[in-house]
Amino acid sequence: MITITINGKEIRLAKPTTVLKAAKEAGIKIPTLCYHELLRLYGGCRLCVVEVERIPKLQTACTLTTADGMVIRTESEAISKVRRGILEFLLINHPLDCPYCDKAGECELQDLVSKYGPDAGRYKEAKRKVPESHEDIIFTRNMERCVLCTRCVRMCESVQGVSALTITERGGRSKMEPFSPTSFNCEYCGNCLTVCPVGSILSRLYLHSYRPWQIDREAETVCPYCGVGCSLVVQVRGEEIKRVVPRIGVGLNNGLLCSRGRFGYEFIGSPERLKRPLIRTTPKKQSTVNSQHSTVTELFREASWDEALNLIADKLKEIKGIGFAGAQRYIEDLLGQGITANLISGLKHSEVIMVVGGDPTAVNPILGLSIRAAARSGAGIGIIGNAKGLLRTSRGKTLQIIPPAFKEAEILEYLLAEVYRIKGPRRENHALEQRIGKLSEKPPKTDVAGLGKLKDMLLGSGSVSIVLGMDVVQRTDGHRALFAIAGLTYLLEARLYLLSDRPNEQGLIDMGCLPDTLPGGRPLGISDFRRKFETEWKGTIPAKEGITLMEIIEAAKDKKIKAMYVMGENPVFNLPGGSYIKEALGSLDFLVIQDIFLSETAELADVVLPAFGWSEKDGTYTNLERRIQLLRKTVNNTSGMDDWRIISSVSNKMGYKIGYSGVEDIMKEISRVSPLYKDMTYSEIEKGKCLWPYNGEPLRGVISDIPLAEKKTHEYNGSLYLAPERVLFHSGTLSRRSPALRKIAPEPTLKIGVHHAEKLGLQEGDSVTVSTAWGSINVSVSIDNTIKDNKVLLSNNFEGKGVFSLLNFSIDKITKIPGTEGCEVTIKKL
Amino acid sequence: MFNETVLKEIDEIKARYPDERSALLPSLYIAQKEFGWLSPKAMLCVAQTLNLPEAMVRGTASFYAMFKHKPMGRHVIQLCTNIACMILGAEKLVGFLKTTYGLEPNKTTADGRFSLVIMECIGACGTAPAMLINTDFYDNLTEKKIEDILGKYK
Repeated sequence: MITITINGKEIRLAKPTTVLKAAKEAGIKIPTLCYHELLRLYGGCRLCVVEVERIPKLQTACTLTTADGMVIRTESEAISKVRRGILEFLLINHPLDCPYCDKAGECELQDLVSKYGPDAGRYKEAKRKVPESHEDIIFTRNMERCVLCTRCVRMCESVQGVSALTITERGGRSKMEPFSPTSFNCEYCGNCLTVCPVGSILSRLYLHSYRPWQIDREAETVCPYCGVGCSLVVQVRGEEIKRVVPRIGVGLNNGLLCSRGRFGYEFIGSPERLKRPLIRTTPKKQSTVNSQHSTVTELFREASWDEALNLIADKLKEIKGIGFAGAQRYIEDLLGQGITANLISGLKHSEVIMVVGGDPTAVNPILGLSIRAAARSGAGIGIIGNAKGLLRTSRGKTLQIIPPAFKEAEILEYLLAEVYRIKGPRRENHALEQRIGKLSEKPPKTDVAGLGKLKDMLLGSGSVSIVLGMDVVQRTDGHRALFAIAGLTYLLEARLYLLSDRPNEQGLIDMGCLPDTLPGGRPLGISDFRRKFETEWKGTIPAKEGITLMEIIEAAKDKKIKAMYVMGENPVFNLPGGSYIKEALGSLDFLVIQDIFLSETAELADVVLPAFGWSEKDGTYTNLERRIQLLRKTVNNTSGMDDWRIISSVSNKMGYKIGYSGVEDIMKEISRVSPLYKDMTYSEIEKGKCLWPYNGEPLRGVISDIPLAEKKTHEYNGSLYLAPERVLFHSGTLSRRSPALRKIAPEPTLKIGVHHAEKLGLQEGDSVTVSTAWGSINVSVSIDNTIKDNKVLLSNNFEGKGVFSLLNFSIDKITKIPGTEGCEVTIKKL
Repeated sequence: MFNETVLKEIDEIKARYPDERSALLPSLYIAQKEFGWLSPKAMLCVAQTLNLPEAMVRGTASFYAMFKHKPMGRHVIQLCTNIACMILGAEKLVGFLKTTYGLEPNKTTADGRFSLVIMECIGACGTAPAMLINTDFYDNLTEKKIEDILGKYK
């Protein structure tokens, strides 16, 4: 126990901390400028100086560690004089253009000067002139206002882990750089924007368009972009979102955001938004197959809500008779429900992190930051495949293994067999161990030394995390990789994280949006579970399992399914198989699409309903940690309708009465019927307490049989294969309608390794035709020196240029996930 | 990229320190020697060789006055004009270089033979005025002495 005295107030501390923190705890405010709680200490601005008895000189409170018996004064004439002097110096070159500067009203320098600064400056000489830089597409950089606190540099270097910023030159000529077309690998997270205390770094998205005090309302909500579910604050003026900002101390992201979350909000006000229900006028047969992108007016006419909903109800009554998430299901079957519900913050404290099947810094950027943080503090990172964003900054104990094309499963199985051989059984899950025992220990044809090192790394640590991306799961033998991951998780007692590129994917799974489960993950096949829901819903639930997404598509093609109702998904664009999906959905008798944009799939629809978008509706999102968070409405949409209201209306018109009065009603029903959400209330979710396993009961069964399909022995000896790329700046439908993200990454590029680019005589920026057996598209080439195998990558984000339109697929028999591996590609220079 | 000899030289420097960051300053000197000045390309080479962020290399390189950020003549004269040197006539020497050789501060002679950099204190106050030519040190300078010395650098 340490006792210190600040301004005559005695403070007891359990352990040493800084004077600044101790004072803050005690409610004593010390002014700061270069200090920021998310950043490492700097002690550069000297504004936080305090007097400490028996230390002759003033001390900086932010860096001074408390010691027993310290007597500190935070305000005195001497201190005020120093602070006045410092602020006077800072203003020497400052343009004092507050009336014009966007930061005014929330500027730390402005606040400090008005409280501690001098009335007037004595400096009469000419001020330093540096023209404001608008070279960057997103940021404005004004070096006249800069106070050189280096917060942005520290943020970029030791939190974001990118080091795209630096202070160049010295003394009076110092300035922060670059933010220019040659910006050093900037990830456009905008976290520098958050920490800049003055108007030196500003966002061009809202430059000079409003003042901080002109915000009409704001709401704390959840980001619409990925499965991490960062908390953010949406600020609205009129009905326009002016800005999206993170807030320190709020949510799992604690003040950090990525480019999508921070700059990708503009889609909500896009002129392309659907405003009225649409009913098809052109017969489908003529329009679907031939036309690429017909205009709305050619295909549809606008209709009233009543007419559209009546039509849907009538058609569905006439036809009668209507999936996803196989990977998690498979792993949970082996290890128990909730095995993937691990806190992202746990990654930071892992000694070893194994990353397989994707780049976490692109798929789930904020989760990726935790891995970078772990690497910085000395954790070993083992990457199987490519994870570009982790190679850039993590050094030392980072190991990368590049498997032969599409052979990750073999590597993982070998690794599992080796770990099992050395570590022996854990004797808790007999069926699993029996199956592990049958794996071959024959090393695969690859970097055996590297694998040995990875194995030692995994075995030598008591705290292992495994991060799994979808790339190894979207394979015809994806379940093999999943089994190996499950085995490693079990034997190493590791934390398992499944990267998730869609928000609230977990929420859908938990609600039972799977062919074989009821809400709460209860199996459909057990009549006791069914009965409970049947009583609540006053109806009969079929005992027969439904079919999975790709089976639905097939059934549509075979005319076994006649009508389909698609909400917020775009299968034509987001599923592999290109024209096959389009044909299948085109042969439906009746297709309803409920979406915010006229998607590629909506072009095939009989009725299109305009839904509310993110920030226009209330609800909950469940993230990949299984944290339930509130989504809040901030913008009024007068032309669309809430999803739940649309469904209720259709149901009511079909003769089954649903009488919700709002989202809270629905939550009440969920907590009543789903054992997983027992007694959960909105106010509890609001407090942020809703972490797995909530108050409910997860399901833990005993497995006796593990389904495994026979091994495939296909060798991939072709010269080049096409594979999907998951990028940092885009996520498809929403991001492509966000002007800021389109400025950062305007068009798709084909990523190709240095070796293959040379072989094909390709240069950066060359236009090429990419062709597979399924089609071809024209894109430009980008050479990527981190691609070391014979794959070329293309993302699935841009209209008419999605990779999935070029990929064939075949279904994994166990997980039912479409595998897209082994699609040979030819590249021709234009 | 650097040639094999330079890479080897940098590798030797790297071996002296626990991490690459410590090898940055000596590596920048080598790059400057190799390219004559620290061009953006030279700094990129250093960043790649040491696996350091480009921004860090640029920030460090621009901080120190002894790194040159534009092309230099064959021989770089670094003349101190801080207080001790100034009192003992360094500014007159600057004028002498201008009239005799047409050499102005931060400029290079038309024949590319000399560049003049006005230097902050080089720690030779006791024997001021002083200058460096490339890495050679000269003090107690007079106009006559400078003329003799420069004659040695072709």
